[in-house]
Order: sequence, then C-alpha cells, then structure tokens
Amino acid sequence: MSVDPGRWYPIASSSDLPLRHVFHGQLWGREMAVWRADDGHVNVWENRCLHRGVRLSIGLNEGRELRCLYHGWRYANRTAGCTYIPAHPADAPARTICNNTYPAIEAHGLIWSALDPAEDFQEHTLLVGADVLALRPIPVNAPPSLVAAHARSYQFSPTGAGGADVSLIVETDGFLELRSTLGDMTTTLLLFIQPVDAGRSILRGVLTTRPDTPMPVLHHHNRAMSALRDRIEAEAATLDAPDPISVSFTPVDEELAQIPARARSGPKAELRVTVARKWALATDIAGFRFEAITGQLPTFQPGAHIDVHLPNGMSRQYSLTNAPGETDHYAIGVKREPESRGGSACLHETVQQGDVLAISAPRNNFPLRRDALNTILVAGGIGITPMLAMAQTLEAQSLPFELHCFAQSVAHLGFEEILGRLKDAVTTHLGLDPKATGKTLAEILKTRGEEEHLYICGPGPMLQATRAIADRKGWPDEAVHFEYFKNTNEIDDSSAFEVALARSALTLQVPAGRTILEVLHENGVEMPSSCEQGACGTCLATVIEGDPDHQDVYLSAGERAAGKSIITCVSRCKSKRLVLDI
Amino acid sequence: MKLYDYELSGNCYKIRLMLNFLGREYETRPVDFYPGREHKSPELMKLNPLGQLPILEDGDLVLRDAQAILTYLAHKYDPSGQWYPVSDPDRLGQVAQWLAFADGITATASSARLHDTLFYELDVEAARAGAHRLFRVLDEHLWFAEQEGQDWICSGDHPTIADLACFPYVILSEEGGVSRQDYPAIRRWCDRIKRLPGFVLMSGVFPTSQSAA
Repeated sequence: MSVDPGRWYPIASSSDLPLRHVFHGQLWGREMAVWRADDGHVNVWENRCLHRGVRLSIGLNEGRELRCLYHGWRYANRTAGCTYIPAHPADAPARTICNNTYPAIEAHGLIWSALDPAEDFQEHTLLVGADVLALRPIPVNAPPSLVAAHARSYQFSPTGAGGADVSLIVETDGFLELRSTLGDMTTTLLLFIQPVDAGRSILRGVLTTRPDTPMPVLHHHNRAMSALRDRIEAEAATLDAPDPISVSFTPVDEELAQIPARARSGPKAELRVTVARKWALATDIAGFRFEAITGQLPTFQPGAHIDVHLPNGMSRQYSLTNAPGETDHYAIGVKREPESRGGSACLHETVQQGDVLAISAPRNNFPLRRDALNTILVAGGIGITPMLAMAQTLEAQSLPFELHCFAQSVAHLGFEEILGRLKDAVTTHLGLDPKATGKTLAEILKTRGEEEHLYICGPGPMLQATRAIADRKGWPDEAVHFEYFKNTNEIDDSSAFEVALARSALTLQVPAGRTILEVLHENGVEMPSSCEQGACGTCLATVIEGDPDHQDVYLSAGERAAGKSIITCVSRCKSKRLVLDI
Repeated sequence: MKLYDYELSGNCYKIRLMLNFLGREYETRPVDFYPGREHKSPELMKLNPLGQLPILEDGDLVLRDAQAILTYLAHKYDPSGQWYPVSDPDRLGQVAQWLAFADGITATASSARLHDTLFYELDVEAARAGAHRLFRVLDEHLWFAEQEGQDWICSGDHPTIADLACFPYVILSEEGGVSRQDYPAIRRWCDRIKRLPGFVLMSGVFPTSQSAA
C-alpha cells in the first residue's frame, strides 16, 4: 500500500470518543487529535498546537473548546480556530490562527477521515441502513501491505464454533470483504486496514449484521484477530522495519501568534449565508440564524460582531450571541429602531427565512478577558447581544460572573432560553427610569473587587452614565470595557490637515468634509473599516505625532488622553500635521 | 501516619493517591532518592532492608511495598469496604490478580522510565517490550469491561486498589518511551481515574477536563 491521501479510512471507533475525551489517532504518519464536542460533532485535527507544537491529544476537551495543556491556547469546536490566548488576555486572537483539520464522518460505529479527500465519503453498500457491529480494533506493528496480505487468511465463524467455511468476496487496496458460513449461518465481515504509519496498521472490522448477543462474537473476533496479529508481527520481525513516514509541518508565523492580523481595506462581505431561521425574539426584536451555504463559517470569539449587508445596499453591524463551540451557525438579535435609517427596518420587514445574505467574517473589537476573578456584564436593551456570548463563555468555563440586564419589560428582554440556562448569574432590572437605573448601577459598581472587570453594552446615554459611575467608584479605565451601538456625537469635519504615513512614506492632505479613512482609501492605502461612524474601532490607527481631535465613542478616556491612537473614520487633527504608524 | 516519600516515584504516588481518596491526614518524610540514594542509607535500610520506597509508618506498624500499603490503608481506613472488597471473594480475587499485574508494570514500564529519566543501566528495549505486552492485556481487559458498562479494572461500580496500583506507571509510561497511542481503552480509563474526587497530580501527570454536566 502506498500513501493515498485521497482515500477515506476508518481512524477510530465511535466508542473511542466519549464526551470530554481526546483520542490519539494517526493516518499515513500524520498524528490526529480526535474529539467529540458536547453537541456531538466529531473533530479530527492535526495533533499539534499551533503555538509550540505540543500534542493536542493530551489537551483538555472542555466540550466546546479544546485547550492545549501547555500554554492554554483554546481552539473552537468545528472551526479549530483559536479563541483565546491566556498570555494576551485583553486581545482577540487573529482569525487566521487556525489548526489544520481533517474531514470527519461518523458512520457504522466508526470515525472516517482522509488526509486530502479526493471525493465525498461513500458509504459501503453493505452498510447502508444496516444495524452493524464494529469489532474491537487490533493495532498491528507491521506495514499495511503485510497486514493486508495476511488478512486474506483471516478465519472466523458466525457463532465462534469451529468448522466454518470462510471465503474472500472482495479485496481492494486495504479493504477485504470476507464471508463465513457454518451450516445455515452466514456472517459478512468488512475488514479495513488503517495505515497508521509505514510500519504500523490497525485492523478495523465491521459485521454487516449485529448479532443478537454481541459479546461472545466480539470475544471470538478479538481472539481470532489477536492470533492473526501474532502471525503478522512474527513475520514483520524477520523483515527490515520501514522508516516512519516523514511528515513536514508548516510553522506558524511568529508574528501571527502574537498579534491579531490587520484586516484588508474597507467593509468586507466575504461570506454568503442563508437565513436559516427568523423569529420574533421579543417585542421589536427579531432573531436571525445564519448558516453557511458551503463549508465552515469562520471562528468567532465572544464580543465579536459581523457586518450584515442588506438588500437595500446598507450595511449594519450586529454582535453574535452564540455560545462557545456553537460553530455551525451565527445568531444575531436585531432591534427595530423607531428612527431606523433603513437597516433594522429592512431586516425586520424585507429579509425572510431562506434568503441569502452577504456578511463579513466576525471581527472582535470587544474581546473578553478570561482571567478576571469576577466579571460584571451590564446590558441595556439590545446591548444584551454581545453579553450573551460573553456570559455563555464564562459559564462554560465555570468562571464567576454576573449579568445585569436592563430592559423596559420582560416582553422587551427576550432571549429567555439562554437567560434561563444562565440562571442565578442573571439579574434583570425592568422598567427603570434613568434615575433609578443610575441608582441601581451605583449599587452594582459599589466597590471594585480584586481583578474584577466590567463590560457594558447599551444605548449611548446609559453607557455614558455607567462609565461615569464606574469612574466615580474608582474603577480604573483598563477594567471598564464598553461597546457603543452607534456614535451619536455631532461630527465636526471642518478642519483641514496633513497626514503623514510613516511606514508608507506617504504624505496626504485631508481637506474639510473628507475623513482620514476616505483619503487613505482613495490613495490605495489598506485600512479595514466597518461601521464608519466611530463606534466599532475597526479603523484604529497608531499615532506617532500630532494632536488628535477625537470624535469617536470607541476609545476610552485614558486612550484619548494618551493620544497614541485614533479612529480614522471620524476623528481628525487639531495640529497641522498628524503622523500615523501606517 | 508518616510516608517516606519521593515525589517522582510512581509507587509513592500510589500511596499519596490512596490517602487523598480516603481523605486521611499524613506526614511526608521526603527521601532524596536521586541523586542522594537516601533509600539505601542505614536509617532507611533499617526500616526496609530491601532499600526501596515507599515505607509507611502508622503507629507502631512499619510497612513496605506499595501494594501491601494500599491493602492495609484501604482495609483499615475505608469503612465502606469499596476500595478493598474483602467481603466479596470474587472481587477480592480479582484485586489480588491485578495487584500482581501491577508488579509486572513496575518491572517493565517503570524500569524503562528509570532508565530514561534516572539513568539506570538496564535492557530498556526489553523493558519497553514487556510494558507493551502488559498494556495490550490491560487495554483488551478494559475495552471489554466498557462493553459491559464497567469503568474499572475489577468488576463493580467503584474503583479498587487494583486501579491505583496499576495507574501510576501506566500514566508515566511515556517518560520511559512507552507510547499509549495503541491503547485507547487505557487512555479513557486514565481520564476516569483523574476525575475521581480527591485525585491529585504529580510531576509528569497532567490534568484532564471536567466531565460533562
């Protein structure tokens, strides 16, 4: 047998994958970490952490994410994308940090995979719809071709009693169909030879019908196949052992492992999704479930948002409400704004179940630390959406948190199902006027506990109030994290100034009425952006020199005072010249 | 109760595990096994003429041999009688059988580890081959136990000292160059042991995740 990356082989039994376990597999020399998430999905990944190459098979299957044992990097179910790097607790890992995965199909009591499948997995005709029995797999220290040659002479019996007549029905590369007859009893065995490495194989057998009492049959095959193994290994011992298949790995770019990658210019709509479900979540809130048309949706982290491009040509940002590991869809909640400029109205009225929409990949400008001793999440109205993703992440990792939801009424709150699961961690504050809200917030933020962090999302006035209260109560800037829906500041774009791009060796003029971002784009300078109104932080640039005129709602007071960053879609410059690290 | 203990010893780890599972307070007397060879010092040779660890002192009793100490501790301090089921002859026989098997693991997997980590001069290939022979037997046993809905080496729904006697040098086998990749049922059994309430780690033994709620 020669290396056949295109072919599907069984690489594990279904029973090898109980919940919260990582199976150590191998195919053609490539080691695999195989794990079942709590939602049942089977992941087959290259068995090495992207960071330092440690085997993921000794990692921790936490049900929704797999955690490397070495430095705690976390990877999401399905996507294998990195969701958290403990050494960089305040940053969102780049979406490009993604483990190599192999395809996985669970069928007939076995897990099937291929290194680089030439075609879709095909069920064996004898197994389709059959009630089958997977036998105990037998690892053999011998080359797959030697195992295949001996497997032809495998002797077994329908009952375990002697005198059965075994015939070889089909033999292809690495696969045999054998039939054993004893009296009027017939059993068909499909025997697959899994090529583990040049000198190692695993015999994996499936009976096409499940016997009434499987245990004696399982024991019979275990004995017979162990005897076959002894014969094969005895012969292998007389031959020269082949060298293991050498496997080359693509190293991870050092820079990639450290910082989030910069997205390319402008708002992007690189994904096409179907609206798999649209439903009424609460008064004036519609829920949407997006599913990929083909392939896998990219990894998200708690706090991430997507741009949704609407049939009317507009684009709007919505936070994902997904729990960690819920990687087969994106879920958002959209509030119908009474003064909608057309975005929320279009989603509520025009977009229907079954429609196809263009969306961006998730971006995370609101990352969640997972090293706080306590986390307080404050949600005002529809600001609950990113908080749901955060709360479910903290819940899944058994990290302490409290979620405070402010809403007009229960009917306006919505998300009963998720909030119900989070139970005791949730406190709802219903129907409070601004004054009562302020009082409640002052109570919640009374004293900051050790390493306690605060996350706020909600309408502008409530956010301002919460930040002001936190400031008064002595919460340091770096412990207060917030996300605005939109920038309600009156933008003053009357200034004109010069922008020097230090790395690009380019000097550009920004006239009154144009933004830095527009001028950058017009001159072919790559700069990602999303909301383009100073709320989301996507178009942030580092300031080297100059006096920024901040007009965004993204930067904190401390960040503004430091003068080291600027949101290029709205903010400008008070001095004549602004030097950016671009 | 005093345990003459070496942190890197799997046999001492068996006793630490047992005492933690039973929730017993004990005092540790660290022994400089390597490189000091303190287990061969006159003081310790007086307690154990075989010059081995662990040694347990409980009142006037001085006991050597990990499996013997497990037997003693379980019988004396586990009122439920689960860890050492003396009232059930079938299970008692199974426990004794697997305690002897654990000695075999010590003679093979532990020897290979002593060669690789503490530079003992011995036939490491023979030790590794012996460990693989035993692991094949244990994996097969545990696979069929799982088929019958059993989690542990001996029958019944509670682990016994047989599990504790076998576990340490199985979980440390890779330090002696003995991979457990071909023994998936052993790997699952190791996860189950790590989830027992009171489980403690040692250097070279890694945690596993919590079981699903």
